[in-house]
Amino acid sequence: MLLALALVAAACGDGGGGDTTTTSADDTTTTEGETPTTAGETTTTGGEPMVCEATVGFIGPVTGPVAFIGEVQLNWFNYALDTFNAEMSYSFQSVEGDNQFDTAQSATLAQQFLDNTAMVAAVGPAGSDQVDAAGAVYEAGDPNFTFISPSSTRSGITAQYTGMFRTVPTDDDQGPTTADFLVAQGAENVFMVDDQSSYSTGLADSVEENLTAASVTVTRESVAQDVTDFSALVGTIPDDTNFVYLPWQVAANGQIFANQMAEQGKEAVIFGSDGMDSDDFTQAGSYIAAFAPDIAAIEGSQSILEGYLAEYDDTNTFGPPVYAAARVIFEAIARVCEAGEVPDRANVQAEVRNTDQADSILGSPISFTDDGDLAEGQFFIFQIQEDGSKTLVP
Amino acid sequence: MSDIGVDRWVEESGDRHEQYSGWTAPARRLFDSIRPGWRLGGFVFLLALFPILAPQGTVRVGITALLLVMLALGLNVVVGWAGLLDLGYVAFYGFGAYFYAIVASDQLPAHWPSWIAIPVIVVATALLGALLSLPSRRLVGDYLAIMTLFFAQVFVELVRNFQRLPGISPDFDLTGGPNGITGVTPWSLFGFEFNTFNRNFYLLLALLVLLVVGLHNIDNSRTGRAWRALREDTLAAEHMTTPVNRLKMLAFAVGAAIAGLTGTIFASVQVGVFPNNFLLVFLITIYAALILGGIGSIPGAVVGAIVVAFAPELLRNPGTGSWLFYIGLVAILVGTLKKWSLVAGIVAGVAAFGFLVRQTALTIWDDSILGVANDTFVARIVDGWLLILGQHQDVVANYAFVLTVVGGLGVTVTKGWWRAVVAIPTIYLAILVWENKLALQPAVTRQLLFGGVLMVMMAVRPQGILGTRRVEIT
Amino acid sequence: MENFLQQTVNGLTLGSVYALLALGYSMVYGVLKFLNFAHGEVYMFGAFAGYGVLTVLGGPSALMVPVWAAVALMFVASMAVASGIGLALERFAYRPLRNASRLAPLISAIGASFFLQAAALLLFSANSRSYEAPELIPIDTAMTVGPIDVWAVRILVIVTAVVLMILLTWWVQRSRVGKAVRAVSFDSEAAAMMGIDVDRVIVVTFLIGSALAGVGGVMVGLVFGRIFHLMGFVAGLKAFTAAVVGGIGSIPGAMLGGLLIGFAEAYTTAYISSTFQNLIVFALLITFLLIRPSGFLGRPELAKV
Repeated sequence: MLLALALVAAACGDGGGGDTTTTSADDTTTTEGETPTTAGETTTTGGEPMVCEATVGFIGPVTGPVAFIGEVQLNWFNYALDTFNAEMSYSFQSVEGDNQFDTAQSATLAQQFLDNTAMVAAVGPAGSDQVDAAGAVYEAGDPNFTFISPSSTRSGITAQYTGMFRTVPTDDDQGPTTADFLVAQGAENVFMVDDQSSYSTGLADSVEENLTAASVTVTRESVAQDVTDFSALVGTIPDDTNFVYLPWQVAANGQIFANQMAEQGKEAVIFGSDGMDSDDFTQAGSYIAAFAPDIAAIEGSQSILEGYLAEYDDTNTFGPPVYAAARVIFEAIARVCEAGEVPDRANVQAEVRNTDQADSILGSPISFTDDGDLAEGQFFIFQIQEDGSKTLVP
Repeated sequence: MSDIGVDRWVEESGDRHEQYSGWTAPARRLFDSIRPGWRLGGFVFLLALFPILAPQGTVRVGITALLLVMLALGLNVVVGWAGLLDLGYVAFYGFGAYFYAIVASDQLPAHWPSWIAIPVIVVATALLGALLSLPSRRLVGDYLAIMTLFFAQVFVELVRNFQRLPGISPDFDLTGGPNGITGVTPWSLFGFEFNTFNRNFYLLLALLVLLVVGLHNIDNSRTGRAWRALREDTLAAEHMTTPVNRLKMLAFAVGAAIAGLTGTIFASVQVGVFPNNFLLVFLITIYAALILGGIGSIPGAVVGAIVVAFAPELLRNPGTGSWLFYIGLVAILVGTLKKWSLVAGIVAGVAAFGFLVRQTALTIWDDSILGVANDTFVARIVDGWLLILGQHQDVVANYAFVLTVVGGLGVTVTKGWWRAVVAIPTIYLAILVWENKLALQPAVTRQLLFGGVLMVMMAVRPQGILGTRRVEIT
Repeated sequence: MENFLQQTVNGLTLGSVYALLALGYSMVYGVLKFLNFAHGEVYMFGAFAGYGVLTVLGGPSALMVPVWAAVALMFVASMAVASGIGLALERFAYRPLRNASRLAPLISAIGASFFLQAAALLLFSANSRSYEAPELIPIDTAMTVGPIDVWAVRILVIVTAVVLMILLTWWVQRSRVGKAVRAVSFDSEAAAMMGIDVDRVIVVTFLIGSALAGVGGVMVGLVFGRIFHLMGFVAGLKAFTAAVVGGIGSIPGAMLGGLLIGFAEAYTTAYISSTFQNLIVFALLITFLLIRPSGFLGRPELAKV
């Protein structure tokens, strides 16, 4: 991340020679021979700090049924904004929008963002159906408006909306990875429960397809998200089940499920999807798929995480992709400014497409396909240990 | 000229007119002097200016408001006029929306032209409403409510899990499951496509006018009177040979038809439908709009829905929210105290208390507890006076919040001097909590204020803004 | 057979919690003819109060007092907090609306529900908390009932619920205040004319109903572990259904209704389908209601013309 900034700064320092104008009679410095500045400092040829202004929006479920997702997302967004502004001495503005996980509000917010002429891009919405609602508005109003979803994983939606990108891999990646892993672990009977949400059913369908193709018996059930007692369902798990696959969004429910399995003496091992990657789920011996290795373990991300935790109380798996998405937007705007242009929706989107970060808070490079998906989305599989820590499984 | 009862009351209504008092009197007299038809016309004209003057985002909110108005009017027929507690109303809305989405998109695929689809859907929803009214023969009151509630839950579950129903092949994706249906073609009548917000706004406005006029006529007709009889005393009405069961069916059907029609427009505007659009929370919103506005009254439903739709939007923006908070605080003081000297006294008391608290806190702990003020106009002004905390903001604000609620309740029970004594710290704490916590979380504050306003509104004016006071004889 | 017993225990646990909540609904409806939609939020705050006590006492892994004392304290604290909120609701939100139309208190209750949910969100943030009961009372402290093992917490929950229900029934039948509650339930005007202080009776009803809800909240935390600010909404809905099915206004009816719904949920999930769990349970209840329109033990309302 810092390396990328340094490269950008260096490029700026070297390439800025073209914009000397006649009015700068008192600016005597020339650009050739200017040493590359250290990361975090950018200067124009005139030696003054660059003025770069833009407004970026945030749409997320800050209150409502999944407030625990939205709250963390908003915090990470604000953190990214504050740190970026501090680093670059810019003063980007933000507008936050709470869509309460509702599609109608997402559409309204999207339109309000479009009306705001100072706004060039936004992070969010979080859920795939809200992306559909907001995306329809963006597409009809201004396809140049960039919106990066930090948590929508349904395959195929990026192709439908011009300005859509995302910083998480799709179900098309997670499904086969999960299925392959389960097969490699010798699974013969898998019990699968989805939580009737768009995310969950998509993922479960994908994994089921792959597993059945590999001749594994799959028992598929589903529960509504508002159910908190799974004892009855747990009771129906056949005794010869090797694995229980839970592609759930609410990790705490997963822990309840695990407890009740232990209560009733079911010995299958739980495999959770990325939604279960959270401190709420700590069942020793279980596996989790996550699209980022434990960021506390990545060197570059550790300091970011510490800075975040100093200001806000806690975090979960939905946070870091927001940070990544926000940084992508901010850095794209910065690149536009450094090229000497005023940021507007069209050139910011062009720069977002050009994003090519060698490193990010998620531990992997960020660049986008033509549609807007992550070009190199990866999934990592962890196993939870007795003390709650997670170890990577190769 | 008779001396007793209703006739006298009616005769004296003219005198009552003259007797309007208070500072709203001239406005009310003016309002009464305009004929109802002109009132409607004026109202519509004002609304028609809206898309021209407001940005598109606000027009979108306006569309949401108008949709809510229509739903409130429909619900008013069932609950307000016929007195049947229908907790499943949102399912009719969903039915209309999904039906339209299914026949006007690539889902089946079936691309019915609007002029066929819309009447079919309205009739179908009305039939569904009539069907749902059948149990009302056996079930009354709260039992009927449960059944309709069940229906609302069933609808959402069915729509979300349609492919998993036994007997349905998993390839027959009628409702799109949890992903909903997207790519719905908007209404299109006589070659005119309603694909922009402005067009949809005017469409809704036109439909609203038709609906209001139609409902007004029904209200004054035999059916309306029969519904009123049904609502007041079902058994008596039955004994007076009013066809009670048919009336119930009619009420349900009319309400459902309105909901179905509104549903199609909703699907058309959002160009998609999702199961989460029709949850119980939305039903509660419709009820809140209706009751806040005044149940049983058409203008009440309109006003209530507009208020309920716009209030959360106003509170979205922290700056606006802060203004509303402080103005609201002052308004409450002025409204309850009536004498300016008292108001000034309380304000001075709060100011003094604030200084006292700040000095004490700074003496006991030092400057380090202070934090940064919010970015709003008022916050910057009060920064020097109010204790805005840094590190322990959250914890202190939590306790202060609880104390404010307790204090607020205490103010309502105390009298005289004691009331002032309790009020001053409460007001200070309220401002403290606002600046330290609430202003930072506009989303949560919205919900808090919404709930609080509902409660206070009901305690102070249970008939709603435009309703008439009713006394229930049980 | 084993599975059936297991599911029966599951149903019993769930049913006990629903019964406790439904009692609150039924009692309040009995005296006031009004459905207190904010009851679920009272239950939620009770659960959080228990969590607060648990944290103050050191958390599940480092308790400062013996386990049984901690659990007892949690129950007491939750009852206190829940009753407090219930009483405040009665005094400030519902009493002014005694003589208004039927719908005004309903909307006030809904407003109270929103307010309390938002307050919980403010005070506790959106993350769910966990009692981490398996650490508190380990899963292997199970009693063997026939062919299955039942976790001690479940037994605690079922036993507590039964004891409370027995106490309540005894109190309502034998004590003076209990008789007053029954009288007001039956005919509040006549009761007032007989010299019963109706206001006080209503306060007592709210007190007890809310206390029971608070206990229910702690129980849910113990058995299922996850508490969060929206838990009251769904639980409230189910308890409301239970109260209606059992015959609203009737105390034994609420208990029966709660148990019925608990069993229905457990058996439906196990033997029919978990996807359509809610749907099927509702369908059963509705069919039943159509057969017996005033609930299991409800009194058919006599309407005077």
